[in-house]
Amino acid sequence: MLEVRNIAFAYRANRVLRDVSFVVSPGETVCVVGDNGAGKTTLLRILATIMLPDAGSVRVDGHDALKTPLRFRRELGYLQENPSLYEDMTVKSYLNYRARLKGEPEKRIRRRIGEASETCRITDIMQKQIRSLSFGLKKRVALADAILLRPRVILLDDVLAGLDRTMREAAGEIVSSVAAFSSVIVTGHELTDLARWSTRFLVLDQGRIVATVPSAGLDVATVVGRLDAALKGGQH
Amino acid sequence: MARSLYSTAFALGGFLAGAAALFAFNLDAAEGGQAKLSSIWTVSVSPVLPVLAALLGMDTWSDERRSGRIELLLSSPIREKDFVLGKFFGVWVMTMFGVAVFLFASLGFLKAYAPQLIGETALLGFLPGFVALVMQGALWSAVSIVASALFSNAAAAATATTVLLVALPRGLWFALSSWGPQGRTSFGEMPIDAHAFDFASGLVSTGTVLAYVIFTGAMLFVASKAVAVLRCGSRGASTLRFTTKLSSFLAVVFAVLASALAYRLDLTLDLPVGGTGDTRFSARTRSVLSEARGAVSITAFLERSDPRFRQLGHFLRALKREADEVSGIRIDLRYVDPTLDIGEAQRLVRAGVGKDSLVFERNGRIADAVRLADGYSERLIASIIERVALPFQRSCVYWTSGHGEASFADYGAEGMSDIARDLSLDGYGNRTIDLASDAAIADDCALIVVAGARTDFSSVELDRVRAYLEGRGSKNEGGRLLVLLNSADTGGIPTLLSEWGIRPVAASLGQTRTISGTDVIITDFTLDHAVTRPFEGQQVVLEKPIAFVPSAAAGDVGSGADLKRFHGLLHAGGACLAAGVDRGETGADLAIRPTRIIAVGDVGFVMNGKLRAYANANRDFFLNAVKYLSGRDALTESGTEADRLVSGMDRETRARFVVAFSIVFPGGFFLLLVAAIAKRRRRQ
Repeated sequence: MLEVRNIAFAYRANRVLRDVSFVVSPGETVCVVGDNGAGKTTLLRILATIMLPDAGSVRVDGHDALKTPLRFRRELGYLQENPSLYEDMTVKSYLNYRARLKGEPEKRIRRRIGEASETCRITDIMQKQIRSLSFGLKKRVALADAILLRPRVILLDDVLAGLDRTMREAAGEIVSSVAAFSSVIVTGHELTDLARWSTRFLVLDQGRIVATVPSAGLDVATVVGRLDAALKGGQH
Repeated sequence: MARSLYSTAFALGGFLAGAAALFAFNLDAAEGGQAKLSSIWTVSVSPVLPVLAALLGMDTWSDERRSGRIELLLSSPIREKDFVLGKFFGVWVMTMFGVAVFLFASLGFLKAYAPQLIGETALLGFLPGFVALVMQGALWSAVSIVASALFSNAAAAATATTVLLVALPRGLWFALSSWGPQGRTSFGEMPIDAHAFDFASGLVSTGTVLAYVIFTGAMLFVASKAVAVLRCGSRGASTLRFTTKLSSFLAVVFAVLASALAYRLDLTLDLPVGGTGDTRFSARTRSVLSEARGAVSITAFLERSDPRFRQLGHFLRALKREADEVSGIRIDLRYVDPTLDIGEAQRLVRAGVGKDSLVFERNGRIADAVRLADGYSERLIASIIERVALPFQRSCVYWTSGHGEASFADYGAEGMSDIARDLSLDGYGNRTIDLASDAAIADDCALIVVAGARTDFSSVELDRVRAYLEGRGSKNEGGRLLVLLNSADTGGIPTLLSEWGIRPVAASLGQTRTISGTDVIITDFTLDHAVTRPFEGQQVVLEKPIAFVPSAAAGDVGSGADLKRFHGLLHAGGACLAAGVDRGETGADLAIRPTRIIAVGDVGFVMNGKLRAYANANRDFFLNAVKYLSGRDALTESGTEADRLVSGMDRETRARFVVAFSIVFPGGFFLLLVAAIAKRRRRQ
């Protein structure tokens, strides 16, 4: 379980996040939505421990991000908005390198890579150089990296950005499948797509969570309508 | 990453080119000197190593930051120090790979172009220098990692590292040396180079080792903090940023203090690793040490903090070991620090010895002292031991005058002052003799030197020389003559030589090796003669020489004590360019073979200008000739044999060596790496 308590963050005079708190249980897929500059990416970077918050705490199953950072990160998978991969590596060697970097025992690496590549449907491009892949496939490789060790928390920043419809659907199916064993937090602007496989929406405006919109069991149109209302309300 | 691979190839190629050029330059500068090949190799690599580390380490962090991969690393379950160590070892190992490639390339090229230079130097001999470079490489790699973490631009990181490691320390040192030349001795050599040089010669300072280890650790700590501070982007993390920077600063301060303490408790070890811990001595020094008996005490009277102390101590200990090995004279070494050993220092000062001196004592009395400021060398020390310990046999070399001969008092390029000084060091006095007016040839005359007479000797003068050579009217039973000829038919001396079996003729040379085109390089020393015996592998260079053939008076002419035998000493192009004659029974010793003559077909070969310009065996040939003529055969030497560095490369070979080693090889290596990288990329 991911617990976020009273997170605050500011770049000089610009307060990006204010008193952000929420909890994500295993099996949940929570979408953080908001306009550009609302603080979505900053929130995910703080959750990924790339940046330290000014205040507040983040825990995964009781492991604090500041007090026990290694234990915390071990339970974490992170996908950047624009994946930065080692372009000269093959997909297989890249995933192998990442698994080693994350401290996975040697004997389990091959199995982990096999599972992640099947989940992300990249088994046929494993020997290809990353440089030669399309943006969508690179994003799938990065996604495979994020879910490689079956982390308890998966953070996906703007996961659908730049993907065509087919790719977006595929990405949705991948996220749905990994949500079975993890708490997933996704950011994005594609409300219709996100509404299909998320369980809850957090609406972020000027660094605050201004609304929580449940989506599990509801049809997409209803969810999108509520989100639109929440986003417009947040702007006012 | 591809860019990184190509920049790695470029860095390695550039490093090999720079180090090779520096090595070729240093080798040229050290030609004929007493530096060891391994030391020259090490100090050639040392200044280029920071640049290699800077180029290899420049994008270790900056590339991750620029591409955004830093986020993936920061969100991975790894400590900053582990990241930093991983990057550090990557750069360090690649740096050492470059050094190892350069080592094997150096050995290979020297084997091809200067086999005599590499012949006696085992690979193990380079080990101490390599260890010094491993140590320096670690520190430079750590610094480059810090710079890369601080700059998001790789070029800026490389520039900062190069400035910090190359320009700044060397600039400071040059500035201090320029502004305070009187303090140059205190500053010593440029510390970074001195460390490399000391290690290469087997002189290991625990203080230096600890300082490198401490600073490497401190730099890695600073690098890990520089990475950690990347997480501190928010306003609220300003305190954290400050404390992180403060801890980095304190780490550097700690490193400085710890290094100072390490130097305070310094222990200098003289390691005979791979034979480099031993100074190799010339045959002449070994002869002096083995023939001298009794004991001599050598006192190094200088402060232990003096930069010369280590090298001097290293040399003296090696000298003592050599003396012990040849079972000759016993050498007692003592060190007197004027600031610590007050009583002993006072005794020396009262005896008239200034500090910074080497003092030689025999039977409790000061026999000689050398001021270190005037320089000391193996030749000088051996000469002093010879004078102090061997039975007194000082004798004089008489230089003829009045016929345009070169003078031992002339300090110009065409003078003979340098070689005369060497004779003085060997215990000979230098005197001028005017055969026309001087009453008699003195009893202390070891030999007469005719150094290039330009006008004729009168018949009276020639008669006096004849009488001297035959031993008439003198306590000597025969005379000794060394003739350096200007031409085959000037001065009357050629006639005299012909009477004794040596006939000068105009040289008609076949194919010979040459440097300038007019000189002749002589490398054939196959004749087993005391003068040239130690010269195998060396070279004597004569300018437009005159040749010699045996005259009718030589060969089997005469019998018993009157038998005159001709020896060709130097040969090139089918001609004999230096010859000797001795008179006496075959197999008889010097006492009944009293007359000896040596004639050399060139007067300029030991003039000051030539001795200073070229490194060859000319000096040794002349000194050996003098010793042979004066009866001190056992002390003939070849300084070039053991303690001097001679590549044996002529101008053309040297040029080919420089081009092949510093241009073709690095360029080829670079292209090979590029091709390998491109092939790998195509395959993927």
